Amino acid sequence: MSLKDIIAPFSVWKRALEKPYTNRKPIETRPGADRYRGFHQNAIDQCIGCGTCEEICQNNAIDLVPLEGKTSSHGDSGLRPKIDYGRCCWCALCVDICPTGSLGMSNEYIWITTDPEDFRFIPGGESKPWDDRAEGYRRAEGYDLLEAERVEMPMLSFEESQKSFIEMVQGYSKEQAMEEADRCVACGICIATCPAHMDVPAYIEAIRNDDMGEGLKIVYNANPLPASCGRVCSHACEYVCAMKHKGEAISIRWLKRYIIDQIYLGDYKEILKSADESNGKKIAVIGSGPGGLSAAYYLRLLGYEITVFDANEKAGGMLRYGIPEYRLPYEQVDKDVEYIRQLGVTINQDLKIGVDRDFKSLYDEYDAIFFSTGLKDPYGLEIAGEDLPGVQSGLDILDEVTKGKTPDIGKSVVVVGGGNVAMDAARTSRRYGAEVTILYRRREVDMPADEEEIHESQGEGCKLVTQAIPLRVEKGDSTRLKLFFGMAEMVDQGEGQRPKPVLIEGSEEVIECDSVITAIGQEADYSFIPEEIGKNLVFNRGMVQINEFRQTGDSKIFAGGDIANRKRDAISAIADGHSAAKGIDIYLTNFKEK
Amino acid sequence: MVKEKENSKFPPLVDGKSQYDLTSGKYLRVWQGPQHPGITGNMSLELTICGDEIIDCKTHVGYLHRGFEKLMERRKYIQCFPVVCRICVPEPDFNEYLFAACTEELAGIQIPERAEWIRTLNLEMARLTSFLMWIGGQAGSFGMGTIGQWTVTLRDYMLDLFEELTGGRIYHMYMLPGGVRADFPPGWINKLLDTLKTVEKTLDDVELAMMHNAVFKMRAKGLGIITPDMVDKYGITGPNARAAGVARDIRKDSPYLVYDKLDFEIVTGTKSDAYGRCEVRIKEMYQSIDLIRQIVEKMPKEGPFFTKLPNVLHWRIPAGHTYKRAECTRGEYGFYVQSDGSDKPRRTYVRGPSYTHAVALMEHLAIRTNIADTAGLMVSLHTYPPEIER
Amino acid sequence: MTEFNELSRQFQISDLKEQRADLHFFHASKEHAVAVLTSLKEKYGYTHLVFFTVVDHLEKNEFHLTYMLHNYEKHHDMGVVVKIARENVQMESIHHLWPAAATYQQEIREMYGVEFPGSPGLYENFALEGWEDIPPMRRDFDTKEYSDKTYYPRPGRESHDPREYMKENLYPGEAETW
Repeated sequence: MSLKDIIAPFSVWKRALEKPYTNRKPIETRPGADRYRGFHQNAIDQCIGCGTCEEICQNNAIDLVPLEGKTSSHGDSGLRPKIDYGRCCWCALCVDICPTGSLGMSNEYIWITTDPEDFRFIPGGESKPWDDRAEGYRRAEGYDLLEAERVEMPMLSFEESQKSFIEMVQGYSKEQAMEEADRCVACGICIATCPAHMDVPAYIEAIRNDDMGEGLKIVYNANPLPASCGRVCSHACEYVCAMKHKGEAISIRWLKRYIIDQIYLGDYKEILKSADESNGKKIAVIGSGPGGLSAAYYLRLLGYEITVFDANEKAGGMLRYGIPEYRLPYEQVDKDVEYIRQLGVTINQDLKIGVDRDFKSLYDEYDAIFFSTGLKDPYGLEIAGEDLPGVQSGLDILDEVTKGKTPDIGKSVVVVGGGNVAMDAARTSRRYGAEVTILYRRREVDMPADEEEIHESQGEGCKLVTQAIPLRVEKGDSTRLKLFFGMAEMVDQGEGQRPKPVLIEGSEEVIECDSVITAIGQEADYSFIPEEIGKNLVFNRGMVQINEFRQTGDSKIFAGGDIANRKRDAISAIADGHSAAKGIDIYLTNFKEK
Repeated sequence: MVKEKENSKFPPLVDGKSQYDLTSGKYLRVWQGPQHPGITGNMSLELTICGDEIIDCKTHVGYLHRGFEKLMERRKYIQCFPVVCRICVPEPDFNEYLFAACTEELAGIQIPERAEWIRTLNLEMARLTSFLMWIGGQAGSFGMGTIGQWTVTLRDYMLDLFEELTGGRIYHMYMLPGGVRADFPPGWINKLLDTLKTVEKTLDDVELAMMHNAVFKMRAKGLGIITPDMVDKYGITGPNARAAGVARDIRKDSPYLVYDKLDFEIVTGTKSDAYGRCEVRIKEMYQSIDLIRQIVEKMPKEGPFFTKLPNVLHWRIPAGHTYKRAECTRGEYGFYVQSDGSDKPRRTYVRGPSYTHAVALMEHLAIRTNIADTAGLMVSLHTYPPEIER
Repeated sequence: MTEFNELSRQFQISDLKEQRADLHFFHASKEHAVAVLTSLKEKYGYTHLVFFTVVDHLEKNEFHLTYMLHNYEKHHDMGVVVKIARENVQMESIHHLWPAAATYQQEIREMYGVEFPGSPGLYENFALEGWEDIPPMRRDFDTKEYSDKTYYPRPGRESHDPREYMKENLYPGEAETW
């Protein structure tokens, strides 16, 4: 024992003179650090109720509950996370994974109430003092648990693509598909928006599991034309995808296509369910577009005997005759149609009801009729000179190309319209070497065509002129035609209405061209329905009125597709066919007099 | 060991166990814990004493068994990340690091260089923080509460730094598979360096007031001697072994993270009694301070700190198993993770240093010590019960 | 690797796997395991028992006893895995090699029900006083079920699946899949 050991401890007396560490009373509230993980904040209007926070929560602290003032709508479940702070471990993984970025944490950690129930609440939904606090935990830049960008789809370059009708989108490889499928958070928000309510998260999971058979089954549960849909579906699902809030939506359409591309038609039979034994009832389906084929497929599965009547040489309807081959190769339509045919559906081609066969005789011979005849007759421009040679409809051009003819379009073309048909006609014309100008009445954002279509048409060199209203067509000098058009200004129509293009008086421009292709919409032709039956059907602005089972005013007649729904796309027609099949089955099982 | 005499007041030892008869009235059984300031955390010692000397010691754990290893069987890998840190309160970062490192190894993920530096910095800060808390216990158990108050205050300053960096004071949840969750906040490094100065200054005082304290020396010297030959028998690691002159330090022997780029020597002592172990630990605190300064100086000033992971909601890890270890304040901390190829670990085994120190070793060392010294002995082994009953 | 090759001449060991340069795993038969461990400790310098635990492979009806040894000279780890059937499972004790092993064995008996005859304190409680259910670390012990049974759930909690909820609200009667 040295003397130092006795004395040394006393040296710390010097600390008596130092500033103490302790705080004096009254103790001030100490705010949490800027990154502190305190009570949650949720930007309640930004949140879409996808439930990814609930999914990642390791403590089961989050429930998704309805919140007053929030209703389910497309892209928003109407649910909001409610947190049980008796279970929350403050790890903030929910904040990190939130696809919309609505969820955060404040730096508040002091909150006292006497009722334990108060510690279960909906952040942002029930007002709390820290709701607007700027400090608190946020996901840091440079750290992310989800991938915001989609896997790039291999595509032909525009230089290449405009030279031929080779399919432009080349499809994902296995690695690419798996990587893309991995991005999905499997929230299922998209299911409600898909007209056919396909179980998207389930087939994406099948891709992650590399189980194509399972994927095919899931797809066929709600969509019997997936090879076509996987290419040209209007993919409403992708517009509401939770990941779109973070960056790019999951490539749902391309993933569906990937599944179908992996399986040969010959193997379908082993994977998919076969048709029930025939129940002896016969159904006539008029039109072999997506609506008719879908109805035929699901009815056939239930054991009905199906006969499809179609006016064209080949089945597929607008999928074949309205969509150019570079978007949807014919062999893909064949793949879808062929499987339905293999199930035992009879398809009669080149047989036009009302011409080759009487509608009344079908009505008498079959137990029920489903018709989905589509919109065939193009609207005219209703301007002077539209009957001059060289003015033709977009649908006619596409139809001719499908039939192997070379359309007579000349060297320069003006396409009038802003929908997909307009884009298809324009891009098809490019492939025949024409200079193409697209005229559209409204702004680019108002165009009904798919975004990619607009982008790709421009990429391929089509010139777009918006807010342009055609005035008259005249015979040209050096070219076949001259199209005169005026410029429009957009006039606000009040809230909830889209602005209307109004011609600016005195503005007039001219384009010289060989062809004017009109693609401003089509209407249905119901002339094949005889008066005595037609009188029971209700028509409204050119559309057949149907109930939720796609049943018309005549209980034996069901309808669907473009003639019956306003969405006017393939997937809605498929959904109609499916619902009609269910409706027909219910009708024939329960209601029809034996 | 005290030589056995015919008339010893101690009962005879058979196979290292005392043979005594409680009903003789000569012996008394007392419980120390599970709530006792001299026990680190919630565990208890069942002591049989004769006079004031301990003739038998039995440890009891299980007071906070939360079954972490079992919990992880039901959780996806990312969901284990908030769980693991809770296995050890004073040094949660080792759990985070080791779980992340095992997962990364099994999944074949390489983290960015800067993330490795940040992790190393974090681990050294955790070591320093844990040592500061230990001084509190060690000083307090020998009746020197003031010193404990100084260092626990300093620990709080360290926790402030953790709070600013990670968003949490105790459970940082900062190192996750792929890297770390955030970069340094502005001005944080300077604050860290300032805090280190304060810690260093107080440590000098602690040396004077504790290590050069006649009372402390008298009580701590010769208490709970660990001889070098006991080291492997009992699986002793860390300062407990190093104080006995066994120069083993995982940071040097099997360098992980960036320890091979740092300049330091293994601290060893000559005799592993309570006093010797304190000496080693205090030296290691200075070492940690030095290492933190080195890291701040040598680390890349910018760069990514996180590697993109596959979608953690569906993340499946190829089948395999691995073991990773790191040198925490108490010795070898290790994680054994086995994956069966699914999205949840099949088995996560946590090897905490206290497992061997607090049970078998403590039961051995406690015998024939004075009951007043058990608290000091226990703390001098530096044990934390949660890692015993994972 | 040398140790494995030499040991394999004497003992039933197999499936050597290099996880890292400083970590190897191999399998040993139940009968030879303790002899292998003894050799590793006495002859090859693997003096440090890092840990000893069990991995339950319920589907294969196997317990994988996993011994991890460390060689401080070479800074090398050796994981010895012993597969044994899950019923009436018994294993030779290694407390004579490492006194600390008794703690591991005591815990393993409690958590997995593996018996180690002769191991000190084997039947004393480790962490589970008054436990009556099956050993809780076995995979057939369902923690969720146990916690639901033991701790009543807090009333008033209800969650909704977004897809189901949207279906109820947006398209209740529409095309369901058959």
